[in-house]
Amino acid sequence: MRETASPPTSRKPSGDDGQAAPAARRPFSARLRTALGPLPWISPAIILIAFVVLWPVVEMVRSSFLRIRRSGIVKGSNGTDNYKKLFDEPDFTHVLWNTMVWVVCVVGITIVLSLALAQLFNQQFPGRRVARWALIIPWAASVFMTAIVFRWMLHHSYGAINTLLVDLHVIDEGKDWLGEPSTAFPWMIGVAVFVSLPFTTYTLLAGLQTIPGEVYEAARMDGASTWRTYLSVTLPLLRPAILVAVVINLINVFNSFPIIWAMTGGGPGYETDTTTTFMYKIKASDIGESAALSVVNFGIIIVLVLLYLGVNRWNKEAD
Amino acid sequence: MKRHLMAAAAIGLSATMMLTACGGSSDDKDDDSPSSAAPGGSGGAAPAPKDGSIKLVVADYGSGDGSTQKYWGGVISSFNAKYPGIKVDLQVINWDDIDKQVQTMVQNNQLPDILQTGGYADKVADDLLYPVKDVMSDATRADFIDSFLPAATVKGEQYGIPFTSSTRQLIYNKDLFAKAGITDPPKTWDELKADAEKLKAAGVQTPFGLPLGKEEAQGEFMNWMLGNGGGYKTGDKYTVNSQANVDTMNWVNDNLVKTGLTEPNPGTKNRKDVYTEFYGGTVGMVNSNPTMLTQIKAKYPNLNFGTAAIPGKTGPLDSTLGVCDWVMAFKKNGKKDQIRAFLDVAFNTENSLRFQQENSFAPVTKSVMQKMVADPANAGLKPYIDLLPKAKFYPLNDTAWDVLSPKIKEQLGLAVSGKSPKDVLDQLQKEAENAVQQQK
Repeated sequence: MRETASPPTSRKPSGDDGQAAPAARRPFSARLRTALGPLPWISPAIILIAFVVLWPVVEMVRSSFLRIRRSGIVKGSNGTDNYKKLFDEPDFTHVLWNTMVWVVCVVGITIVLSLALAQLFNQQFPGRRVARWALIIPWAASVFMTAIVFRWMLHHSYGAINTLLVDLHVIDEGKDWLGEPSTAFPWMIGVAVFVSLPFTTYTLLAGLQTIPGEVYEAARMDGASTWRTYLSVTLPLLRPAILVAVVINLINVFNSFPIIWAMTGGGPGYETDTTTTFMYKIKASDIGESAALSVVNFGIIIVLVLLYLGVNRWNKEAD
Repeated sequence: MKRHLMAAAAIGLSATMMLTACGGSSDDKDDDSPSSAAPGGSGGAAPAPKDGSIKLVVADYGSGDGSTQKYWGGVISSFNAKYPGIKVDLQVINWDDIDKQVQTMVQNNQLPDILQTGGYADKVADDLLYPVKDVMSDATRADFIDSFLPAATVKGEQYGIPFTSSTRQLIYNKDLFAKAGITDPPKTWDELKADAEKLKAAGVQTPFGLPLGKEEAQGEFMNWMLGNGGGYKTGDKYTVNSQANVDTMNWVNDNLVKTGLTEPNPGTKNRKDVYTEFYGGTVGMVNSNPTMLTQIKAKYPNLNFGTAAIPGKTGPLDSTLGVCDWVMAFKKNGKKDQIRAFLDVAFNTENSLRFQQENSFAPVTKSVMQKMVADPANAGLKPYIDLLPKAKFYPLNDTAWDVLSPKIKEQLGLAVSGKSPKDVLDQLQKEAENAVQQQK
């Protein structure tokens, strides 16, 4: 009983705090104390972030300027030579191009398909619960495992996909899909879309469910067609959900390693590499150069995300 | 997808922390013991150190089945029977991680005393190793097969200690050969092509398996270049794009790949997968290592196979590619005497023989070679062993090779994937010259 009575009394000081807020004339030390007040509570999080996020970034940037021998010994600074060597790699431009195609295609196709899927799963239909659960499977399975399963399904002589296509007379004989960059890359994009769909669909589905029924009712009253309603009501109201889905997918897809590594290993040569797998390959011969590419990758992804967010905000203001 | 990545990152992070934690604690132990053991070990040239401890790091040949652990446990107990006072700290690391972990040990200056792994030259370049003469008795050193010494020697001084080896032979499926009406295995490139055509006509899916994917392209290429008098180096200089090598790749590309006598897109196919298909009976012939024999014996006893010397341009190769793994001794902890005592036990005929027999590898010492060849149980392995005295190795004593080798693995496949072999080899030559420059 006494305990239930105590909360109201303890809340009183918070009222005082509210009054103290405009007091800008308080002495600096007091203000500092207020500012640092929450520190004991948030410091574990700050320490964790510093240790797990900031420190590796600093180390990464530092190693990109070092001359690291293969044995692991560091022979002092290497200036910008690691970067020069990286930009001189004859395949670097090609790998950058691959990365762009990879990110744009995977994120683009994923968002479009997920918008459709989310719409479907937002409808009432028998078995919806089961279908929603089924969608989780590609997400729940290990990405690496999924990629390996696809690799074997695409095997040139006894892969399931080849057998099916031959039986359906789509092709005359088994094709080595992953052996040639021109067919390997689309297949890898397909697998990346497959594993990205669940997360994206659920994000968009959550977004759809926040749209109140009244706005649709109003649209109906005004005589808007289904398509018109979708473009003018659903999509604009989905913007926050799409924003989240695109940004998170952008980062994930750009950094995606297991699909490419398990399906083609970037081969032949560097024909199906993205900057992420290329970075891993360079590491075998020069750690410093590999660190330089890590920094470049880090920069690219930050610029991409900022650009996307910037464009989005600008759109919103234009509206 | 995000969840996967986060979970993977979390697992990776915690695993790293655990590893560092383990590494740290065992190293602390290691750092303590030498100081307490110093009086006993400080005998300098004393022939029989009585106490101290050494840290031994080895690669796992058993893919985690514990056999490597067990083997070294046996060596250590036979060592302790002779030197009961010296404690040996054993750490077995799998092949995927060992390079990385050793690099970390070097970076943190927490070096083992003895390391067994795939290469040693980078450690010589950074002056981390004892010359072999300091840590091995003359008798043990004299027992190594002579053909290994050039690859073990840097600037006239031997630093690498050969540990286990293998050579290459052509392996062929006798049933498929009979089906195609071929009686003898091919001896020259032209015969190989003719036989492959016959196999193809008889409906064999892959007449010749050519794994030029990134797993082992540098080895398959060497099998071919040796058949045309080529090599990675001529004297001190890299000659990856020599006329002989370009001709070799052109021949392979024009006669085997473009004619469909290999698996499709051989530039993307790895050795492991091609071998598996050979076991499955869909590959007519392929260049093999002796480990295949163990696999066949254990898992595919019905496979009817034969081996023969690898065909060259005009006749079978009399010296083939030899591959070798190494032991090396680190100077940092100054335990020369303990290391010497241990290595002499580890490389005695009994221990070395047991390791090669258990794994069906080829030997590195003359005494073990004699015993293995004399044993009828090794009849299948014998042709591989017989090639050892004339085996040719990669330029393993050169740090530039460590940088070049991954580039060859990644890029050579392009030479059979539509690019001109000459362009690919020219690029690799450039990589080789850069690698040499980088080591200076």
